[in-house]
Amino acid sequence: MSDELDRIRREMHSVLQPEGARPDDSLKITRRTFIHGSLLFGAATVSQAFAWWPLLNTLDIAHAAETPFKFAWISDTHLYPRSLNTRFVDKVVRAAQEVQAMDPPADFLIFGGDLAQLGKIEELELGVDLLKEVKIPKHYIPGEHDWYLDMGKKWGELFGQPNWTFDHKGVRFIGLDTVSRGPDYWTAKNMTPEERMGHMATLDGTVAGPWAGVGRDQLDWMEKTLADWDKQRPVVIFSHNPLYEYYPPWNFWVRDWREVHEVLKPYAKVTNIHGHVHQVLYNEIGTLRSIGMLATSWPWPYAPEGLPKLTKPMIRVDPGDPYDGVGWSKIDVAANDQLETEYIMWGRKEVFVQSPEDHDKHVSEVIRPRIADNMWPF
Amino acid sequence: MTTHSKIRCSLRRFGLVGGIAIAAVFAGPTSAHKDPVKQEQLKIYQEVFMEEVRKGDLLFHGDQKMAEQLGVADDLSKTGMACAMCHPMASDTHPQSFPKFQAQIAKFATLRDMINWCIEKPNQGVKIDPESEAMKALEAYITWSNTGSVLQPGKF
Repeated sequence: MSDELDRIRREMHSVLQPEGARPDDSLKITRRTFIHGSLLFGAATVSQAFAWWPLLNTLDIAHAAETPFKFAWISDTHLYPRSLNTRFVDKVVRAAQEVQAMDPPADFLIFGGDLAQLGKIEELELGVDLLKEVKIPKHYIPGEHDWYLDMGKKWGELFGQPNWTFDHKGVRFIGLDTVSRGPDYWTAKNMTPEERMGHMATLDGTVAGPWAGVGRDQLDWMEKTLADWDKQRPVVIFSHNPLYEYYPPWNFWVRDWREVHEVLKPYAKVTNIHGHVHQVLYNEIGTLRSIGMLATSWPWPYAPEGLPKLTKPMIRVDPGDPYDGVGWSKIDVAANDQLETEYIMWGRKEVFVQSPEDHDKHVSEVIRPRIADNMWPF
Repeated sequence: MTTHSKIRCSLRRFGLVGGIAIAAVFAGPTSAHKDPVKQEQLKIYQEVFMEEVRKGDLLFHGDQKMAEQLGVADDLSKTGMACAMCHPMASDTHPQSFPKFQAQIAKFATLRDMINWCIEKPNQGVKIDPESEAMKALEAYITWSNTGSVLQPGKF
């Protein structure tokens, strides 16, 4: 991690979090507690990767659910038309079947964005069609790949308002739109909708810039939405992007994350579940706990810097197996006040690294941004 | 001719040929041999390199026009996937670890072997000529993007 980013995180922590406090002081550490990796493999080799991690495979978070329930998460399916790519289709079919087969059943499914790859009507409709297999209620938030071909027109027709809230068995759920407020990089360059989408769809592109954000209007809406909620009761916030700064060049953040934390600061039990990163992630800042989810489409390597020290990294995947490093998630809200997240990573018994060699950053790596799409300044 | 003079003659010839060869190695094209390196030359060499990096960057990111220009448009991918989708900024390509035993291919492999494996497997495309400009451009981009990484040849 760069010194600057480390400094910023520490500063935010000191502002937002009283000394010694955790996001939720009733965090339950179970028998599945992971043996600290540094004890097994030596702290000097991968000390950042093997920072403290409470649990193996699952997270338990105290929540005051009135009755136990489960919900499921699928995101980042990145569907192309069926005629071009059948692998991505097959994986959505599998995830949908597995969610539908949950026993006891999940109360609802959250779709965390990037249903389509290039925002095409055909791709979005294919996603809707494939997810018909899931009969429980479904709630959608948008990803950037869904949005920037027609600026959310088709997405809105299919799924309605991109941000929403509902209460379920004692938990307030909020869905955020973190993708639609990107700065206008297309008008001055007279880009076609396809060109605009192409730049947005390139994770390491230099043109679309820092597009991920919540926006003042939506922050105000979130503040208003939470105003009548007991500050000791649980809140779960879904967003496509993580609500903290991990790696801005890949928009692994929202640019107004400081303001987000200011709004959430009074609430003691806030969990953010997000997509976009295609990798296992865990972080805590102030009283906000963040959990990153797997894609069904493909996994991403960890960014060259900024990986939260609380993240126990996911296992290095086999690029020859389309089902490796990807999957979906079960979230279990239990009667004994726990919220447990389980990564369902296909083809793997062990989701997390077991040795330094299992980590994608075990080989030294210094990388630099691309050059061929540079077009700024005007 | 005596034996002595024959040997002297061969040594003189070796000296001449060897000198040119060494000069060629150190000074580049024979037209520039023995001249001190000029900044303009270095600029040109760098531009040649960066042009290949630029082409490789475009290929790596699925640019159809560049793929057509280099004659690999039908080969690099048949799934819509481009290299950069799994390897943003060419991360996790580890050019500094080649050559090595590559588990997926089950053989001692170069970076070019691995590029072709990725084209064939995840991208479900068709192998490209390892000596083609497209391959060299991809190699140029990947290695350039990993500039500063420490060489660890053979590392799994």
